Order: sequence, then C-alpha cells, then structure tokens
Amino acid sequence: MDRFELRRLDYSLSEDHTDLQSAYRQFFKSQCGIETVWAAEGSGFDKSLWERLCATGATTMALPEAAGGDGATLVDLTLVAEEVGRAIAPVPWIDHVCATRLLATLDALGDEAQSAALINGEQLACLDPRVDGRGGKRLIPAGSVADHVVFRDGDDVVRLSFATRPAKVDNIGRLPMAWVDPASADHRLVLGSGTEAVASYQRALDEWRVLMAAALTGLLEATMLAAAEFAKTRYTLGVPIATLQGISHPLANVAITVEGGRNLARRAAWFLDNEPDERPELAASAFVFMAQEAPRAATTAVHVQGGLGVSAEAASAAYLLRARGWALAGGDPAASAKQIAELVCAREAASTSRVASLLPSGAGRSI
Amino acid sequence: MDFSRVALSDEDQEFQHELRSFLAELVTDEVIRRDRETGENFDEHVHMALGAAGYLELDWKTEAEGGFTAVRRRIWELEISRAHTPWFHWGTTAMVAKSVAQFAAPDLTDEVLPGVLAGRTRLCLGYTEPEGGSDIATCKTRAVRDGDHWIINGSKMFTSNAHNAHYVFLITNTDPDEPKHKSLTMFLVPLDTPGVEIQGIRTVDGDRTNITYYSDVRIPDRYRVGEVHGGWAVLRGALDQEHGTIERNTGGLEKIAVMTEHINVMAEAVDHVAAVVATADETGHRLLDDDAVKLRLGVGIARMEAAMSTPEMFGRVAIAQTMRDVAPDLMDLLGSAASLPVGTEGAADDGGVEYVFRLAGPTGIYGGTLEVFRNMIAQHALGLGRPNYSPATR
Repeated sequence: MDRFELRRLDYSLSEDHTDLQSAYRQFFKSQCGIETVWAAEGSGFDKSLWERLCATGATTMALPEAAGGDGATLVDLTLVAEEVGRAIAPVPWIDHVCATRLLATLDALGDEAQSAALINGEQLACLDPRVDGRGGKRLIPAGSVADHVVFRDGDDVVRLSFATRPAKVDNIGRLPMAWVDPASADHRLVLGSGTEAVASYQRALDEWRVLMAAALTGLLEATMLAAAEFAKTRYTLGVPIATLQGISHPLANVAITVEGGRNLARRAAWFLDNEPDERPELAASAFVFMAQEAPRAATTAVHVQGGLGVSAEAASAAYLLRARGWALAGGDPAASAKQIAELVCAREAASTSRVASLLPSGAGRSI
Repeated sequence: MDFSRVALSDEDQEFQHELRSFLAELVTDEVIRRDRETGENFDEHVHMALGAAGYLELDWKTEAEGGFTAVRRRIWELEISRAHTPWFHWGTTAMVAKSVAQFAAPDLTDEVLPGVLAGRTRLCLGYTEPEGGSDIATCKTRAVRDGDHWIINGSKMFTSNAHNAHYVFLITNTDPDEPKHKSLTMFLVPLDTPGVEIQGIRTVDGDRTNITYYSDVRIPDRYRVGEVHGGWAVLRGALDQEHGTIERNTGGLEKIAVMTEHINVMAEAVDHVAAVVATADETGHRLLDDDAVKLRLGVGIARMEAAMSTPEMFGRVAIAQTMRDVAPDLMDLLGSAASLPVGTEGAADDGGVEYVFRLAGPTGIYGGTLEVFRNMIAQHALGLGRPNYSPATR
C-alpha cells in the first residue's frame, strides 16, 4: 500500500466522544466497584447491573436507527468498551452488541416485540467470537446467560435458543461461559446463507475483536494506574519503589501498550465505520496485539505490588484473570494473525504486480 | 477522529504534483546508491536544489512567517519520505537554525541564516560526549573566556554530518564548579576554525557519523548562543523539538511521534515481505502457504500497526522497540536469504528487513535512548517521580 498517502492521523475525540466516555466511566465507577465484580464471580453475570446499564441506552445506542437503535458509530462503541474493561464489569455487553448488530444486518431481529427486547437488552444475544470456529460443541463466552446464540455453520449463519440455558462453566476470565451444543438446541433458525451472510458474520467478528481490544486497553489502564499508585507509596531502603527503574520502566512499557493499543482499536473502528475495505487487517491487528500484551502487562501490574498483588483479594489479581480470560474467549489469536497475513499479502501481491514498474529501486535503504 | 484522505484545493494538489515530480527527478537511483555507500543521509546536490527551489525556506519558516501551511508541510514530509530522499542533515540544520534565530545575537543569525535557507550552509549537533551518553548535561568539553574570545577543548560523539556542515552547535561547560544545569554555555563553532578535527565513524546500520575533537579552538564571543552559563535554556527549547514534546494541534496533519520515518521504513519493508511470501517460486511454492510463516507475519504486522498508532513519547519507544522485536521474526520467516543485504544476488526481500534489523539498534539510541523516554513516561505520564540512582561516586 502507499505508506505515504496523504491522510489525516487525527486521533482526537470530539466533545460528544468525551461526554460519552465520561458518562460511562462515571456509571461504572458508581455502579460497579471491585466488590460488585467479586460478587458476580459465581455466575459471571450481574443481572441487576446489566439492567441498569441497558437503562442508560448502552445496548440501544449500538443499533442503526433504521433498526430502532440510536445509530452509534463503532468508534463510539470502543469508548464504552474501554469503560467496560476499566471496571472489568460482569456484563456481556460486547457480545450482545456485536450479536444484535449482526442480527440487524441480517434483518433477523424478529418481530416487533422480540426486536424491542433485543434492542433494549431484555433478551440477551451473543455470538461465537472465534475466527476459526469449528463445528460441534463449543465454548461460548456468554453462553450461560444468552437467550440467543448466533454462530456460523459453514455458509449459514444460524441462531440457536434453548428452553433451558446451558450451564455456566468455571473459567479464568470469570465469564458467563458455557458449552453450547448446537445439536441439543431447542430452536435452530438459519438467518442467512451464502457469501453475504458469511461476510456479515466476518464483520461481526471484526467488531467483536475491535471492542475486545478496546476493553483490554481500559482494563490495562486501570490496573496500571493502581499499580502506579501502589508504587508511589511503597518504600524500600527509604525511597518509593516508583523511583526505581526496575519498577518504573516496566510500568512505562504498560503505558506504551495502553496508548498504542487504544489508538489502534480506535483507528480500526474508524476504518470499519467509514472505509471498511481500505484497511481490513486493522481490526484483527488490534485484537492480536492486545490479546498478546494484556496478560503480560497485567502481570507487570501484579508484580509491582509483590505479594499483595497476587493475593486473591487484590483487585490486580481480578484484572489479571480477566486480562487472560477475556481475550482467550475469542479463541487462539493465531487465527486472527493468519488472517492479517492473508489480507495484507493479497493486497501487496496485487499492488506489486500493478505498480512493479513504478517501484523505487532503493527499497532496501529508504531514509 | 479522522483518518480520511485530505481533500486538496487545486493549488495544493498542484504543489503536491510539482514536488513529487521534482523529487522523483532529483533523487535518482544513483543518489540513493551513493547515500547507501556513504551512509551520510545527505546529498549536497539534492540539498542545494531544494534550497534553490525555495523549499528549505518554506519548511523552516512557520506558517505565520510565510512558510508552509499545515497541509503543505505534511505533503512535504510525505513526499520527501516517498522519494527516499537523503534527508537527516536538514533536520539538524533546521533545528539548530531555530535556536540560533531565537537565542543568538542578530549579526550571527544574519551570518548563518541566509546560507542555511539557500542550502549552502549546514549545521550539526555537538551534544553527546564520548563518556557522556544520553545525559547531555554531563558535559566535559570546556570553554574558557579569553578576552572577547573563548578557547574550547574537548570532544563530541555523534556529530553526524560534521564533515558536510559549516558549524557545530556545541554544548560547553563554562563553570565546572556549578551544578550541571547552571554550568553550560552554547556556541555555534565554525568548523573551519583551527583545532577542530573530524573523524568518521560507521554505525551498524551503515550510517556515517563522527567524533569531533576540539583542541584550543579559539572563537570570538559573537559565536555564543544565549547567555553565558545559560545553555540549558537554549538546549531545552531545541530538545523539546527533537523529543517531539511540543504541543501540536493541526487536525491530524502532523506525524504522531518522532521517528515515524523509521517505522515507515519498516512498513515499506513489511509490505515488500508480504508481496514476496505471496509470490510462488519457480517450483510453485509459496512461503505464505506455511502457517508458521503466516502466523509470524500476521503478528509482526499487528505489532507494527500498534507502534504506528502510538503517540508522542510513547510512540518514540514503541517504534524502536517494535523494530527490534519484530525484525528478527520477519527475517526468520524469509529464511537464510534474509541475511543478504540489498543489491546482493538472491537477497530474500532485497535486503529490506535485514536493513530494518540493523537500523533498529541506533533507532533506540540516537535522539535520546529509550531509557530517557521511559523515564519521561514514568515521571510525567504516570507521576512516579524522578528516578533514584546510586549516590554519585565523584
């Protein structure tokens, strides 16, 4: 691609963006402290918090106006996702939003009553976020609480529902995760088939990965700041450990990860919103980067706090488990990495054959 | 938030077109080959031509002073990079010229500036010392007053392009008894003054830099820049430029961190690798069909895009660190032929990643090492305080 194309590189947030951001930061701060997080660990889901979240319009905003929603952009949604991650909130907001957006695209939200219930979050929908999702029984991150499970089955996009929801299984991310066996579903509905339906599902996976990447940046920022606060007040040999480079430099590296991952997630979202065919590799890139970095960086935050950081009662430990488990819910990031390579290789192979004669000969040394 | 293509007025489009054609003609294969051989990041003919065409002056001046508008400045940066113009000497020249214009006596500015803007006169940096490293305040080069002259003794490392420059912007110590930040004085030393010796050094990425020695170099006081013992204030202004810590707000028309030029070198190399692995060899085999290749390339691209999204001082670290982390994997996936440099028969990707690997080392060092920036992030972004060091031993 033309790496010297004249495009804006404007990551700034508008006033509407910052209003949205602070509204949800405030919401989770007041409604979802660490005690709330701990209290929901058994089920992985705080129903009351979910209802209060939905009452703010957090699910409605995500759908296009034509489908009865408020038409938020994906960039808007990354801002909310960051706050979900910052609070490690026990609500499957990302799954629900991506699934209902997909249903809307496939014109499959159902009749008026069901559509309304999905849009306002009374009914929960979720999807199989794995890129390489194979058939058969599968682990679905919000499978134990969802009314509708959407996944891809070959060329079909299908929706399942169960008279009795599948049982929650313990998992490191403290998600309301369940084994879902399509064969035992009470209802199975094919929502769409063929290239277009599959492309819509791929788009939903891109959205899930971008929002998950954004959530992980919020998560990391929160645990990093807590570790920084700890380091400022913990002394060794008469000095705060924050002033030791063995502590401060690893924390600086986390700050770098947060800044880069957050901007990349937002840029990927912007392209999905505005020019979806231009940089199709960015959504997966944001996910791969954050999925790799989140567990490492959250470990740094724990490590800075020493024995107190690893205690099960430490907030940092709760963040560590989710930093690992939330990303892994999307399956092996290698599937996304391979997808990135395929997309970029296809683009570069095409552009090389197109402009081979125009390439500068000094590509090996170019500054 | 906006990443869209910039809609250009007819005039700006014309400017872009003209500049691109001008550079395409000026920066020939021969210029690039010579630059690779000399490692100078400088080509006198190119430099003079850009000066003569008025581009240097437009770049140096602010918009208010009649220089480039924000959009033209961005076009200028991008086209200079697109053409692979040997270019780093202008960066130091422009930066020093700003300090001179701001802090030197008017007659010195008058002596230097017209030549700088025309391309005739070039300026280099004399900050780092052989024993000093990134802490530029630990300066041992001495300047002693001698009537209305100064006598300078000492040595400087990484005085890149000193052999193509006419003046060196020198940090000296004028009062060793005072604390570091009250002891420095800046001079713009003419490099043809007796007692100046320039010795070339090649670095691992093929660049040529210099060590310069100053033995009883006697210069008039008019070459002083800023107050006596007031060098720190002069330096601060220049360092803020170099570190990219100056506030900017041009609606996304500026690069988001310093050294994005370097990650662009990597991005070009990565794009080239992608084309190479997607191409079948004479036996019909494509590297891309191997999942191990695909995985490492995909991860490398993800990490690179993250680095390219990282702003300001965070980005400065991310860029160099990512080049260091990712280049070895990219070489591995290309196999042994990735060890062959550009121009060598059978070089896997014409030496692109081989060069990125060698460039990654210096990229994390010059302009302040990564530790300097991690300190800044720790102190200013995370509020962790100034780093504690062992007590000084002398």
